Amino acid sequence: MIYLDNGATSFPKPLSVRRAVARAMARCANPGRGGYAAAMAAARQVYRCREAAGALFDCRPEQVVLTASCTHGLNIAIRTLVKPGGRVVVSGFEHNAVTRPLHALGAELQVAGQRLFDWTDTLEQFDKALRPGVDAAVFTHVSNVFGYILPVEQIGAMCRERGIPFILDAAQSAGTLPVKLETLGADFIAMPGHKGLLGPQGTGLLLCRAGAEPLLYGGTGSMSIAQTMPPELPERLEAGTLNVPGCAGLETGIRQVLSAGEQAIFRREHRLAMDCAGKLEKMGMQVYTGEHQAATVSFLPGMDCEEAAAMLAKQGIAVRAGLHCAPLAHESAGTLETGTVRVSFGWDNTSAQTEAFLSAATKFPRFRR
Amino acid sequence: MNHYYITFRSVTFAQRGEQLLGRGGVRCSLQRTPRWMEEQGCGYALRVWTTDISQAVELLRKGKVPLRRVYLQKEDGQLEEQAV
Repeated sequence: MIYLDNGATSFPKPLSVRRAVARAMARCANPGRGGYAAAMAAARQVYRCREAAGALFDCRPEQVVLTASCTHGLNIAIRTLVKPGGRVVVSGFEHNAVTRPLHALGAELQVAGQRLFDWTDTLEQFDKALRPGVDAAVFTHVSNVFGYILPVEQIGAMCRERGIPFILDAAQSAGTLPVKLETLGADFIAMPGHKGLLGPQGTGLLLCRAGAEPLLYGGTGSMSIAQTMPPELPERLEAGTLNVPGCAGLETGIRQVLSAGEQAIFRREHRLAMDCAGKLEKMGMQVYTGEHQAATVSFLPGMDCEEAAAMLAKQGIAVRAGLHCAPLAHESAGTLETGTVRVSFGWDNTSAQTEAFLSAATKFPRFRR
Repeated sequence: MNHYYITFRSVTFAQRGEQLLGRGGVRCSLQRTPRWMEEQGCGYALRVWTTDISQAVELLRKGKVPLRRVYLQKEDGQLEEQAV
């Protein structure tokens, strides 16, 4: 199989990650609960994962909250900062992981910046929207549909100047673009562990600059008599047994990113994506590409997107089609009716795989050679 | 060389404390807090061997690691809370 759906999850996982998961399952009991060797081994494994994340994202280990997914982290962050009916500024490229929790709170959304790959427009729209009375801003670093890299440093600076707390959704950027908690000054940064960080599915991180409100309540292995959650991070947000094998795999994945370097990973994936986008355009397809783009490319195949993805799947090529859980992004780009086919490159894709995909795409009826 | 216990609210802070003290040349080991030491229930503690507990406490404070209490283990095995 040629896997070009890294926007969904990185696959296959590096062998070192798979081995780390298996090792943890053999050696680790419940972390932060017991004092015997297997429990302490689990606690040390969890701490190493926090440390590795702290090294990559410029924060202290206790600021690294282990979650089940990016969505989980976003829900904690949003529930902390946004009151029911509150006013929130979002970009025009948000995933349902952001918009659904806000909708559930009855938040009043102001969408800022709906023009793809246009930093001037994005910044102008955020400048207009970030006004007194706004409770929080939530924005993605990279659109999961179009790969648009938003000017998050500048938007973050605007938020800080105006005293508006903000949450960054780093689902598509963690592991390939610089994401630094202190430098960015975000109140929260949420990310999955299983995409650019190469960890197992079911892992995620929430980086917290300060306190947060728990989404789940339960045992933490500490202060057991108190019937309130402990005040300190990360335990305050981590009720229940942690995913220790996941932490082991995630730590290994993060260390692989630290070793390879985010910039080098980005350059490699970006080169493949831009080469692919250019060749799709030459074939006559409508391709969504521009400046400030990551290694994700959406295009219209001249036929139903899902049917096109099914045709590719039959040839052993894995891509994603449809709305990608981001109807707002499609509304912004004008593709809500059609959806798109998305190819997203990852750590081990090659030029040969791109060529195989392009060759398969020439079999779409409108583009058949 | 005296023998102390430093207690923490969370295993994460106890672990970071262990790391900070280790880097600062203070011998310590991580363990569960004896039940009687923590009126709020479970927790983790560092057993610390040092001649200067104030240096260890200062290392933790500089590293922004909040601690709960410090106990000195006396020669007869009794533990005595220390003001820090």
